[in-house]
Amino acid sequence: MNRRVFMAVAAAVAAKLADAQEVPDAIKKLRPMLDGIQPITDDERRARVEKAQRLMHENKLGAIVLEGGSSMYYFSGTRWNAGERTSVLVIPAEGESAWVVPNVHDGIKMGSDVRVAQDDADTFKKIAQVLKDRGATRVGIEERVRFAVYDGIRKEAPSLEFSSADAVSAGCRMIKSPAEIALLQRANDITIEAYRAALTTLREGMTQRELTGNISAAFRALGVGGGAMAIFGKYTAFPHGSIAPQQLREGDFVLIDDGCSVEGYQSDITRTVIFGKPTARQRQVWDLERKAQDAALAAANVGATCESVDAAARDVITKGGFSPGYKVPGLPHRTGHGIGLDGHEWTYLVKGNKTKLQPGMCFSDEPTIAIYGEFGVRLEDCMYITEAGAKMFTKQSPAIDQPFG
Amino acid sequence: MQTPGEFHTRIEKAQQAMKEFGLGAIVLEPGPAMMYLTGVRWGKSERSFIVVIPAKGEPAYILPGFEEMRARELIHVGTDIRAWQEDESPYERVAQVLKDRGVTAGRVGMDDAARYFVFDGVRKQAPKLDYVSATQALKSAGVDLTQPLGRGRAKQ
Repeated sequence: MNRRVFMAVAAAVAAKLADAQEVPDAIKKLRPMLDGIQPITDDERRARVEKAQRLMHENKLGAIVLEGGSSMYYFSGTRWNAGERTSVLVIPAEGESAWVVPNVHDGIKMGSDVRVAQDDADTFKKIAQVLKDRGATRVGIEERVRFAVYDGIRKEAPSLEFSSADAVSAGCRMIKSPAEIALLQRANDITIEAYRAALTTLREGMTQRELTGNISAAFRALGVGGGAMAIFGKYTAFPHGSIAPQQLREGDFVLIDDGCSVEGYQSDITRTVIFGKPTARQRQVWDLERKAQDAALAAANVGATCESVDAAARDVITKGGFSPGYKVPGLPHRTGHGIGLDGHEWTYLVKGNKTKLQPGMCFSDEPTIAIYGEFGVRLEDCMYITEAGAKMFTKQSPAIDQPFG
Repeated sequence: MQTPGEFHTRIEKAQQAMKEFGLGAIVLEPGPAMMYLTGVRWGKSERSFIVVIPAKGEPAYILPGFEEMRARELIHVGTDIRAWQEDESPYERVAQVLKDRGVTAGRVGMDDAARYFVFDGVRKQAPKLDYVSATQALKSAGVDLTQPLGRGRAKQ
């Protein structure tokens, strides 16, 4: 589960507090873990574009249109800073990719067809011209392109037919190469070390902000930007926490969830750990949660459907005496999501998704058991699919009082 | 912090603008317009959280089922909350809201910052409506769409 977007403001505040508060020794001792990282090569990006073009032909699309964001970065290696005017990349099924941008950007590495637009109206005219030049009649729009951009293009080129580009963009991004898996591995390894250090700082009366501040400080010390939300006690039952202020008390569950990124590749890890001595009930539910996580891992074999992996985890929780479906007490959400350049991306381990698992797909495995009024437990590790079954990037939490294996 | 009364006033002003610009409703994703009109601050994720404000009647919130408790902490105006579960379509619920508010033909204003998949999901469920930019109506209602969201994280 990933709540980065919700947490950014809180994280910024926490980072400021972390600067103000004493950095604990466990965090001071951390050193950057960035040695030997291999960025994605231009050759690999060219192969991605070729695959996209093949998928465009299969899906009868003449081009796809992308704005700045993870898909643009995936195909071109260019990160266009937010806050600038509309910048668009058009990847055609045939021919060279083209850019329509407000100014020439030295980060543009792919292709030589760069068209500079004067203003938004000119941007849409120029995009329409690119689509005409490349002979596209059916155009795929990347999922995060803003309505305003789509609306501007269709007004300039009303005869074009527009549909989702997901079959192309997600079709490429869902399957990770060994180089991508290595970057995800590093992001996961760093996250475990950040969590390990931060969880040594738990103390009675600690606020969530203090803990999130320590987690952010740990990521910084490890050489990356990262963070996590922290939830205490009964609020752990809400998968994304609560705005209610919380202070850590003996016998509380502590839930931390999120991660960092390495070369844009995201980690997403959750640990739920007891502070103090667990009750029999806490132990029993924690153990059941671990069994549910194991069941999804065991089910995630090549050829299995995404929904069958969700069903495997859900079945353990239901048989353990919890509610069926998404009812609470029970598992109120899907079992997992794809992960790569976005913390959550295609495809999802959810009922109704009959997509079959293929080698190279990466997912979170995170069935929550939520009991409103009492507590919630979530264990989340990410896995990648191989011919020999699913492999976890990280060692699962072995026990209620042992977050790390 | 604004009071629920202030959000009511803002929504009424937006409804007046919708009438002037010929919109039966506006469809908002999280962002400055949702924040200004309803006070709800939410992060955009792949799980759609949508507010429909009709030209006539109460706003409706379409949100992920497992987030309902957390979302209720943030909602000040209106009681029409429609949760969708993980294997269900949020866009079917948007289409149903539009129908319930009598918006069965004509123009609907889309949040210019709405992501294509949200728009595409809605138009597939309610294909007879004509989707246009909501920006002029929102600006006329006093929404500052350039207001920074304060989102985005300090990550590499």
